[in-house]
Amino acid sequence: MFSFTKKQEVFDISGIKIGGQPGEYPTVLLGGVFFKGEPNFKREKENIQNMLGLSKKTGNPAIPDFFIRKKEYVEEIVDFIEQVLPKKHPFSIDIIEPSVKIETLEYLDKKHLLKRTIYNSIHIGITKEELEALKRYKPEMAILVAFNPKDKSPDGKIEVLENGAHLIDKGLLATAEEIGIKKILIDTASLAPGENSGASIAAIPVIKEEYGFPTGCAIHNVVEKSKWLNNYFESARKTVDASSNMDIVLFGGDYAIYGPLENADLVFPMIAWQDILISEYTENYFGVKPAENHPRRKFF
Amino acid sequence: MENEYYPWGGEFTVCKPNGCIAVVLLQIDYIPPANVAIFGPLKTENIGVEKIVANVISNPHIRYLLVCGDDIRGHRSGSSLVALHRYGIDKQHKIIDAPGAIPYIENLKTEALERFQAQIEIIDLIGVKDKKTIDNAIKEYNMRSPPSYGESYIAIRIKPDVPTKLDDKRALHSKIVVHYMGKIEKREG
Repeated sequence: MFSFTKKQEVFDISGIKIGGQPGEYPTVLLGGVFFKGEPNFKREKENIQNMLGLSKKTGNPAIPDFFIRKKEYVEEIVDFIEQVLPKKHPFSIDIIEPSVKIETLEYLDKKHLLKRTIYNSIHIGITKEELEALKRYKPEMAILVAFNPKDKSPDGKIEVLENGAHLIDKGLLATAEEIGIKKILIDTASLAPGENSGASIAAIPVIKEEYGFPTGCAIHNVVEKSKWLNNYFESARKTVDASSNMDIVLFGGDYAIYGPLENADLVFPMIAWQDILISEYTENYFGVKPAENHPRRKFF
Repeated sequence: MENEYYPWGGEFTVCKPNGCIAVVLLQIDYIPPANVAIFGPLKTENIGVEKIVANVISNPHIRYLLVCGDDIRGHRSGSSLVALHRYGIDKQHKIIDAPGAIPYIENLKTEALERFQAQIEIIDLIGVKDKKTIDNAIKEYNMRSPPSYGESYIAIRIKPDVPTKLDDKRALHSKIVVHYMGKIEKREG
């Protein structure tokens, strides 16, 4: 359980605060919507409501992370976001294809939803067109993924943030500055087992002390890619998947992108529990007061 | 025999050690006939592609790389693999003309890539999911019985140099100091 010397930034998006010293704000949990296959709106509406209910019970803020894979889904999914989420509730959009990213930004702007949007994500694959679209339709917050294919260590992740590791012309931090996004979350890029997957956890305290920005990752991706777990421990897979998020919290992280919404029932109490343990220690030893909505307050 | 090949590991199934075809599966539920050398899925346009290159060049009997199924949206890993074979990489190690999101080759030396281009012929069936068509292609190329490329090529994974000493007292990482009871501070110098 840590406390950082560097001043820790806290960013607010539509009333949800992310960042700070360990034990200060509850861990923010981002759950994947339309994680696999074709969008099932009815099922995901129920899953989102379940996640929001768990958030109310535990105190951990819930942010749905919407996967948009095809252009033809853009309007349908954005309209769904508008209908299904409480007014002003923030959300993130998780898109790989640059052209789909651009079209989604345009439509979010048209619907006046950019103030509630976390852009997931900016990485070294950013195209010129995407950069220009981000300048025109600026989301409130963006996740910078510190993926460096040539050096997966914490140093390599910092290199990508600083100077783009010479894979692109400038670092991801400078790119965010160029766009004009001030609220940034650092994602330490969890990779498959065998690809220094633990580095995404070790990098959390390193990056928080270096920059003070809210930091986390999608450590769930490591479990998702494990053939070993799938082949030999199928029955334990979901538990391992959900519990892997605890590593983020214990290493001082601020948010977890925890995978499909179906895991929420396991993830929320697990993370709330870690938040409580951390808060008990950091208040006693470092004097960090938990925020009003902190899970520990639920036990007072 | 098969243990001497495929040093980079990965999610694949080994079949006939001296088979001449390796099959790359893109979002397709298909099991190739047992006379191929190896088959498995490809997901990412960087690390995934690197593993395929390193593993196929380790077995000189493999002369064809058949890529089939639907390319993955955004990642476009299959097309990036084909582009790597056709055009290679630029100065920033980006696969030339690759359509994938982050198509960088960072862990293989140029020599390994040149070997891949020389040893392997790509059978581009991206977009094809019909099992009969794929089976027929495998049959046709198997009948060509190409000679082995010669020696096995074991690609060395390029790793960043991280010096460590036995008296190293760093906790977690060289950039930070973790003090007694958990206070973290940036390390000087």
